[in-house]
Order: sequence, then structure tokens, then C-alpha cells
Amino acid sequence: MIKAIKATFLGLLSLALVTTAYADLTFVSWGGAYTASQQKGYINDWNGKVTVENYNGGLGEIKAQVEAGNVTWDVVDILPDQGITGCDEGLFEKIDNSAWKDDLVVPAVSDCVAPQIFWAYTAFYKKSAFPGKKPKTIKDFFNVKKFPGKRGIHTWANATIEMALVADGVKAKDVYKVMSTPEGIDRAFKKLDEIKDHVVFWSAGSKPLELVSSGEVVMSLAYNGRIGAAILQDGKDFEYIWDATVLEQEYLAIPKGSKNVAEAQKFVQHAASAKSLAGIAKYISYGPMRKSSIGIIKKGEPWFNTGVDILPHMPTSPKVLKRAIVADPYWWADNGAEVSERFGAWKGN
Amino acid sequence: MNQTVSKEILTTDGIPLKVSLKKSERRNKIRALLLVAPLLLFILFTFIIPIGDMLTRSVDDSYINTVFPKTFEAYKKWDKQGTPPEEVYKEMFLEVKNGTGYQIGKASTRMNYAKSGWKSLLKKSKRKFKKIGEDEGPFKEKMIEIDKKWANEDYWKAMGEMIDVNTMGYYLNAVDKRYDYDKNTISQPDNRKIYNKTWIKTFKVSVLVTLFCLLLGYPISYLLATLPLKYSNLLMICVLLPFWTSLLVRIVVWMVILQQNGVYNDLMVAAGLIADDNRWKLMYNQTGTIIVMTQILLPFMVLPLYSVMKTISPNYMRAALNLGASPLHAFWKVYMPNSIPGISAGGMLVFVIAIGYFITPELVGGKDGQMIGNWIGYHLKTTLNWGLSAALGGILLAIMTVLYWVYNKLVGIENIKLG
Repeated sequence: MIKAIKATFLGLLSLALVTTAYADLTFVSWGGAYTASQQKGYINDWNGKVTVENYNGGLGEIKAQVEAGNVTWDVVDILPDQGITGCDEGLFEKIDNSAWKDDLVVPAVSDCVAPQIFWAYTAFYKKSAFPGKKPKTIKDFFNVKKFPGKRGIHTWANATIEMALVADGVKAKDVYKVMSTPEGIDRAFKKLDEIKDHVVFWSAGSKPLELVSSGEVVMSLAYNGRIGAAILQDGKDFEYIWDATVLEQEYLAIPKGSKNVAEAQKFVQHAASAKSLAGIAKYISYGPMRKSSIGIIKKGEPWFNTGVDILPHMPTSPKVLKRAIVADPYWWADNGAEVSERFGAWKGN
Repeated sequence: MNQTVSKEILTTDGIPLKVSLKKSERRNKIRALLLVAPLLLFILFTFIIPIGDMLTRSVDDSYINTVFPKTFEAYKKWDKQGTPPEEVYKEMFLEVKNGTGYQIGKASTRMNYAKSGWKSLLKKSKRKFKKIGEDEGPFKEKMIEIDKKWANEDYWKAMGEMIDVNTMGYYLNAVDKRYDYDKNTISQPDNRKIYNKTWIKTFKVSVLVTLFCLLLGYPISYLLATLPLKYSNLLMICVLLPFWTSLLVRIVVWMVILQQNGVYNDLMVAAGLIADDNRWKLMYNQTGTIIVMTQILLPFMVLPLYSVMKTISPNYMRAALNLGASPLHAFWKVYMPNSIPGISAGGMLVFVIAIGYFITPELVGGKDGQMIGNWIGYHLKTTLNWGLSAALGGILLAIMTVLYWVYNKLVGIENIKLG
């Protein structure tokens, strides 16, 4: 009885969280330019009806749906730590990975995910804001004496900790080793203290572009695809600081108990095909996770829909990759909550 | 003849009146109940059960105890000095090895709240334990060989807080405290203390927003209630238009106006009132949160105030003035007391909405404007620590209940008036 009541309640909760129209497949992603690139890149040539919805990340809604046994989402676009936790907790279906297993740039985080793209937290600025010397490294981003002015940073801790350490002299490849010690985290926060009074925090992906554009800040961190879109499509005079970019992965997953599992399984195979991943890059400057997709783009350059080369704008281009940090989702799955609380305390003090 | 003899009064169809009346009364009662039944069911399913479920989650630690029952039993016998004895390692080994992947996964998420690192430790161990047979003890050294963390007593001690099926642990976390390995209450380490500060901030912001709403709303409502109809209608539209405008639109407009390179600062600099290098910080901090929330919640103050003021007869003030009171005195002694039901209604409404506010602090709160609702959302969505979310929500509920009680004692709930 109690179970039944609980199930009913969770059902109502998930109903409240998501309003769905009936369709063959419900595809849930982050919205904006990224979802548009998925739509044009591979959803449009899928042989079936797909309803696209937006969400703000996190496993909360998925957990509510799965626990209630009323799953209305069929395919969800997720971050790697969600891919780990969701698979561990049985919130996702297993996905056949034979098609891409040996074709990935980095191994997939679990058996429940299909590859999509790499994106990166990247620092950038408006060229006209620095008529003289221009910032080139993450050290410059953290140096308010050399480059006075405000900095834009997202409200959560991911990537900022890593960048602070590199700015403090840690090598990119050693970042997570240092972060795994209490002194390492202290060191990162000490570095962050140096810019604290100069920080404007943002939480929506479009905000940093606005902040830099209006001059509210002189430099900001942002998702590289947003910067790319501003440069490539809106002709903004932004410049990337390709140093200590933090490379993040993006996957698709199928919530356990989806009403269209068979169809969803077929769909993710299509969505994770080499052609589909290359298709995304026609509309946004995120790097495909499959090596063969990069091959397709290379051959097809200028690949971007406006007729320019897209590879130099990707966070996975060799030049960028050399100085990048590949985010460790396992570290964040372990320490995310604790570091986030500490980051919150640091912000508020 | 018969009628006068019998004491029972009958209806025309021969049934005693009493029975007939009762019958129709019962029918009416059932009909009334049926009419409110949809509402009752609605409240039951969308309010009472969810809140009950939430409150249960805030004290529930049963899952972890179903995954590691034997480990916890052995754990209880341990004297908590150094690392545990082989017995504890053995039970842990067997239960990790024989548990399903999902069980261990879910349990590890829970254990990770107690000590960061449990998640990957269990994940890795689950994989490696497969290769070790159940009779290949002792296990302690083998486990430490697989991962050094097994020799770290901090992990073991953190298990102590999960030992009971019902726990106050989440509530302790919600006020910057925690259990140690012996279930004594201790403080969180300094750099993780975040919730008490946020509670105080949430209160401060809510009280200030309520006050500002009252200060701004009172004169507006007074005008609305006393101006001739053609002006007051126009004024009413001015109050309602923003109310009908999308929340996000209003927030974005405030960003444009208040940011350091925004309209307000530009104008003040142009007028020479603020130095260019000393622009005011009105956005992405607590000030911004208070300003924007005040504007958004203002109608919730104005509307109840207006509807109450509308019923205060202007004759009262006239009489007071006629009897020689100064205008201020007359207002204070006559008008204000009459408007108290409106002030209380508006105040309660604004405060209740403000204390749980989420979206505005998220967007304009920046570094120090985040409120408790933001942390509830964070744990609900990102860490999946629904226990902590529920505890934070439970405390919020308790605070509201206490406030309601105090309010009822001081003002009397029957004095609330929405019109």
C-alpha cells in the first residue's frame, strides 16, 4: 500500500517536472544552439517522430521517473558523472557499444552511454578590451594586476578548481593528482582568493557572452561552443584563450523503463554514428568523440555551415589539446558534493 | 382519528418524518462530501502525501542497512581504534562481492555523502573482488592491496553515521553538523560550513524583502484605495502589468538596468554623481537579489493591502480629524490599526514566498545572494542527496509552522484578510 502511494506520488512528481506530449520518442537535451545542432545534425534524418525537450541537467528528474515507474523520457543528453552514477544506480539501460568501442578518443565512462561530443570550459575576451598586450594563458586570467578588470566565472566549482591550479603552476596532467590531496584543494582556493573581488558569477550559458560583450567583465569562462557560435555566426570580435581549457564529455543515455526502449536503442545507434557526430559539428564547434568523425570533417573542410573551417575552433584540435585538461568525471563523482559546498562557502564569505 | 392517537408524525407516503429527515440529511451530507471529494483527493495526493514522503526521506537510512547488514553488525563490535578487525573487512568483502551492481552503486552514492571517495572505492573494489574467492581469506590485506583507501580509518569511521535505519544525520548536515563514528554530534569542518550562513541569509533577505514591499506597497495601496476611480484604475494597471509579465523577462530587465555597466550606473556617471571607477555593485550579489525580489513580490503585498483599505470608511479619518487629532496622529491611531489585517496578509504572503525563492537568487544572486532554495535544488538535481534536500525542506516547513503559530498568538489568524 505504502509502495503504491509512493509510486503514485512520484508519478505525479515526475508529471509535474515534465509535461510530455505523446510521441514516438522523447529526446531531452540542454536547449539552445547545442540542441539545434543535434536536431539539424542527425535528428532530422531519423526515420521516425522525435519530440525534443529541454532540461537543466542533473539526474533528479530521471530518478523521479524511474522510481515511479513512469518514464516519459526516452533519450537524455547527459554529462559523464551522470553517466557513471546513473549507470551504477540502475537509472539507465545498457547500450550496445560495439559500433564505437574502438573508435573513441577516450574510453566511455560506463556501459549505459552513447558518445556525443567534447566541449570545454574556455576563457575568452573581447579583442577591443585589450588594445595593447593580450592575455594568452590561464595565468593571465588569474592575474588581475597585469590585466585589470573583472572576470566571469560560472557559479559551480567544476573546471574553476582545475584552472586555478594550473594558473598556480601545476602541470595540466598532474591536476587531479594534486586535487586528490587536501592541500591541493586548499591551494586552488588560495589561488581563487586572488581574483575573488573581481569575479562576476554566471549560471546560464549565454550570460558570459553578454557580460564580455557589454564590458561588464573583461574576460570570462564559457562553453567553447557558445564562443564559437558568437564568432562564427554573429561575427563578434572574441578571442579564445586556448590554455588550460577543461575538456568535458557529453553522452546520450536511455532512462531505465523507457516506454520505447527498442526504438530508443536504435535511435542512439543512429545518433552516435560517425556521420551524426560529424553532423553536429556542422552547426556548433564541439569536438566529436569518435575518431572517424574527425576524419569525415577533415575531408569535408570547410565543414561549418557558414563555409569556414571548423577544426581550429574545436576544443579537441591538436594545438588546443596539448595545453588542455581532460576533466576526470570519476574525481567529480567522488568529490563533487564536498567541493561544491566548499566553493559555495568560499563564494559567500 | 388515527393521526391524533399516534405520536409519530408521518410524511405523506407513510414513513416517519424523523427517518425521512435523517435520510435526506444523509443524502445531503454525501452529496456535499462528493462535491469536495475531488479537492480533498487532490490535496491528499499533491500535498499531504508528497510532504509526508519528503519528511520520511529526511530521516530514512534504511537502504544502506539492507545492503550491508552483516558489515554493520560486525562494525558495532569494533572498538573504533585504528582500522577495524578482519571480521569487519570480511563481511564488507562478502557483501560487496555478492551484492548486485545496482545495490552497491546506490549504497556507494549514500556512503559518498558521509565521506567523499567511497563511490570510486566501492566501484573499483566491486570489479576487483570478483577475482578473489570467498574462502581466500584473510581479506584485510588483500583489500588494502587493491586500494590503499581500505587502510584509511576515515572511511571506516564515516560508516558509523549510517548505522541506524532512522537517522537525524541529514538534519544535522542541514545545520552544519554531523555524526562522528560513535554517533556523537560534532561540527562540520570549517570550510564545509555553509548551511547556517545560508539560513541566516535566507531569513535576512526574506525579512528585508517583506519590509521593503510594505514600505513601497503601503502608499501605493493607500492611493489605490482613495483616489477617484479613473486614476486608481490606471494605477491598478501599473501594479498588475508587471505582475502579468514573465518572471524571467523582469529579471533580465533588472540585470540590464543594475549591472555595473548598466543603465543606472551609466546615468549616474553621466550626471557626475558616481565616479566612473567606483560604480555601484547592485547586481550579482545580495543587494541585487533583494531589489529584484522586492519588485517581483510587490503585488502580493499591494493586492491584499488594497482590498482591506478599500473597506476602511473615509469617515473614520474625518471623524478623528474633526475631533482634533493631527493628521499623523489620526493616521497612526485610526487608519493604520484598521489596515493591520491587510498588512498581516500581505506580510505573510510575501515572506512565505520569499523564504523558499529559487530562480531569482539563482540568476542574480551571484556570489552571496544564493538562498536555501538553491541548495535544495542542487542536492535534488545534482548530488541526488534527497535526504539532505528533504531535511532542508523539513526545516523550512518547521520554521513556517512556528512563525504561523507565533503570528496566530500575536495577531490572530482570523485577522488575516484578503478582501
